[in-house]
Amino acid sequence: MRRGLQRGRTAVDSRTPRPRDRRGLSGRLAAACGGLALLLAAGGCGGGGSTSAGGRTPIAGGVVTYALPANTVPNYIFPFTSIAYFSVVNTDNLQYLLYRPLYWFGDGRSPFMNNALSLAYPPRYNGQVVTINLKHYRWSNGSPVTADDVLFWVRMMQAVGQADWGGWVPHEFPANISSVRAVSQTQVRMVIKGKYSHSWFTDNELSQITPMPQAWDYSSATTKSDCTHVISDCAAVYNYLNSKSLNPASWPASPIWSVVDGPWRLASYSSQGAFTFRLNPSYSGTLPKNHISVFTEVPFTSEEAEYNVLQAGGANQLDVGYLPTVDAPVPPPGAAVGQNPVSGYQLQALYFWGISYIPYNFASTDPQAAILRQLYFRQAFQDLVNQAEIIQGPLHGYGKVSTGPVGDYPVTPFLAPKARSGSDPFPYNPVEARSLLQLHGWQINPSGVSTCIRPGPGPTQCGPGVKSGARLAFTLPYATGAAWVEAAVLQLKSNASLVGIDITVIPQSFNQVTGQLAPTCGLAHNKPCPWELLDWGGGWTYVPDYLPTGEELFLTGAASNVGAYTNGMNDKLIKASLRNSSPQAMWAWENYLRPRLPIVMQPLAPSALVESINNLRIGVQSPTLALTPEDWYYVK
Amino acid sequence: MSAGRPRQVIAFLFRRLLQALAVLLLVTLLVFGFLWLLPGGPQQAILGGGGSAAQLAAVRHDYGLGSPAVVQYLSWLRQVLHGNLGYSYVENASVGSLLAASLPRTVALTVIATALAVAIAIPAGLVQALRQDSAADRVLRGLAYVGYAMPPFFLGSVLVLEFAVRLHWFGAEGPQAPGIAGVLTDWRDLTLPVLTLTAAIVAVFSRYVRSAALGVLASDHVRTARATGAGHARVLRKHVLRNSVTPVITLGGLAIPRILGGALVVESLFNVEGIGWRLWQAAQKHDFPVLLGFILVLASGAVLGSLLADVGYAIADPRVRLNRS
Repeated sequence: MRRGLQRGRTAVDSRTPRPRDRRGLSGRLAAACGGLALLLAAGGCGGGGSTSAGGRTPIAGGVVTYALPANTVPNYIFPFTSIAYFSVVNTDNLQYLLYRPLYWFGDGRSPFMNNALSLAYPPRYNGQVVTINLKHYRWSNGSPVTADDVLFWVRMMQAVGQADWGGWVPHEFPANISSVRAVSQTQVRMVIKGKYSHSWFTDNELSQITPMPQAWDYSSATTKSDCTHVISDCAAVYNYLNSKSLNPASWPASPIWSVVDGPWRLASYSSQGAFTFRLNPSYSGTLPKNHISVFTEVPFTSEEAEYNVLQAGGANQLDVGYLPTVDAPVPPPGAAVGQNPVSGYQLQALYFWGISYIPYNFASTDPQAAILRQLYFRQAFQDLVNQAEIIQGPLHGYGKVSTGPVGDYPVTPFLAPKARSGSDPFPYNPVEARSLLQLHGWQINPSGVSTCIRPGPGPTQCGPGVKSGARLAFTLPYATGAAWVEAAVLQLKSNASLVGIDITVIPQSFNQVTGQLAPTCGLAHNKPCPWELLDWGGGWTYVPDYLPTGEELFLTGAASNVGAYTNGMNDKLIKASLRNSSPQAMWAWENYLRPRLPIVMQPLAPSALVESINNLRIGVQSPTLALTPEDWYYVK
Repeated sequence: MSAGRPRQVIAFLFRRLLQALAVLLLVTLLVFGFLWLLPGGPQQAILGGGGSAAQLAAVRHDYGLGSPAVVQYLSWLRQVLHGNLGYSYVENASVGSLLAASLPRTVALTVIATALAVAIAIPAGLVQALRQDSAADRVLRGLAYVGYAMPPFFLGSVLVLEFAVRLHWFGAEGPQAPGIAGVLTDWRDLTLPVLTLTAAIVAVFSRYVRSAALGVLASDHVRTARATGAGHARVLRKHVLRNSVTPVITLGGLAIPRILGGALVVESLFNVEGIGWRLWQAAQKHDFPVLLGFILVLASGAVLGSLLADVGYAIADPRVRLNRS
């Protein structure tokens, strides 16, 4: 997963951040600040044919000027991206336009595999053996996309993945394969170690692979290498390619980066951070009959600046931009969006595939951690989160209620049936919160701080480790930058004060907030962290591990289990869900964990409120934030 | 002027230069030290707040972060002396190239806005002083207060909504063309950010000019000049104007870093990736090389501004020159 503050995957750098260990924090946390990615996918957008689209006729060609999320500019082109550059803006706004992943995720409103856009047919499993059959795509230099190109990526991961692949997870791919080989030019065969469900292996492991052309298998401009077959060659190749990825101005003319298999090629880059893409004339995939021919991404210093330009139009007109939430009209009941305040544009809401939450730190060195470990306290605390009010207030009606440890939106087969109603399992209820605390030995002091008056482990006592006189006082650092996050944190502080829970909220930069998380502390490292609660402003996006299984966020010792939650039954059910492809295994885990509240659930905020100009058709947006402008077209 | 005066002036400037270098060194030491106190340190910032132990180790190795802070500081200082301000791992670009991209925009914006502000503030301040407590004085004073109190983001938003969104007279964002020439020739996009920045500066300058002019008008030498029969225009030009602009010179010199930094709001609102905006972004993202490099440049601007103010003050006011020498 990538971070979201800066863009959606991570959740922060929304801009932002994800790991099992690898996707590490930086890959998967999702940040809510400022412009989450505005990624539009037109998965299978078929409207580009010659028939009329909405009563108007599609036309060929045209230029689309697209607003990048505020404060973000692609800055790394090599698709084997280290964690420092592992962001939505680099992957979806740059790399995936040029270099296609082996398997494409995001099919209409579904976050799962899109066979039509994948470079290979769905993998075939026979016991522990997985066979990948490539389609007949070609690189722009005329070479076919072959099994060796897949191997090139896998060997690179085996050689330098631990340090240099942003999606690295210890003990998983490629450590969980015992062999990989090219059976033929179009067929790759792997043998998996251990027993995994096929859907998990496809959606969370093979999903990471992006074939690389043999034209990149060099350790210098003139020195041919053989990383594809000799692992020891890969480090030098990585160093060379990494060095060539460091100067965006050099990319358009680079003989390396101009070898593409995607539908676009990079035509120009301006020092202001604008990228212009032109259609790859050698693209071997399928394009609709009518489509745009030039795609330009322009950066913005702030959402306000983008919105000003969007409204003003004129010479700098944007064809696809976004509406800041603060300016968004509240949608009427039942509608996805409200009346668009920008004339001449169509408004759509885009939500990323993930969950939104605030972690508790169960491993905190602070004595307050003993309170956080009490289930009754977490239930009371969740009772004080008013998700409906956050959605209706600071989110202007754009948001989805979070119900548990699995992404709620879009609804997938992996979401337990009982969670599909979309209703809050812990609706705002300060009376119940008060009762729970009183029942467990707390003297409620609404005008101050409640204290424990009945210490002990009994059912009507404060709980193991909570001492007499312990106070319900906590600190909550949060990432600034997204107005709704600040409003939600302040609302929680206010609601908590009703039952004498004192929360000291501390505004910090995203990096300050996430800098306090793993990987350098927590159970996995036998080094507790002092924080109690943290809000980086988003949550977690399931990219490039698209299956919402719990091994990365909730398994004991997982690197992205930033609060060090641990529960034996939970671990057992997670492991069972990895071995079993049936949704029931997921549901069993999910139904077990949901009421145990290992996290504070927050509403899922929109990644972007997308504005597209009326005569442009951009198709259905993908919750994976993948972008396919080659399917966009104008109508007349 | 005596024969020894040039030598005294050179000695004075030399002393000031040494002081300036000491200040710059101190600034870099403080900034470098503070940056190391940030949670997670530089390696965590590079990884965006995450990363495994192996990834952190790789970053430490790749970026030379394993050596002691003092060694890193000296290494950075040595690079700076060789004209290398470092490399931004967040932006994936050299600090020098970021500076080259940002500086022309901010300089163009601030120099034009400052010049415009001076051109408006001096006559406005003089008129207010000459017509003290008249209707014109009250109106101009009121406008100055409004300009002083109005946040740039509010004024800028009002200007955009009226002149860009509604009337389409000007662009809603600053010039996007590369280079100083591209910025300067794009008057349509330059107008609104310049006006927004000018409003705040002119309010400050005009208040100082008015105050200084009132003092000068009441001074003995002006009374003497008038008593000796000098005409009104000559008194204004030779005695009042020169002495009234002195505070503006000082203010202008010292205000250089403040104006550069203060352009942040305008840059953010008008989509100008200038110095102020980049510095703010670097602080948000813990982009240490950019913070160090840009703060060094801004501090140099402050020191240079202070030096220029001293020199300008000495030129404008001979008493100062004599006293200091």
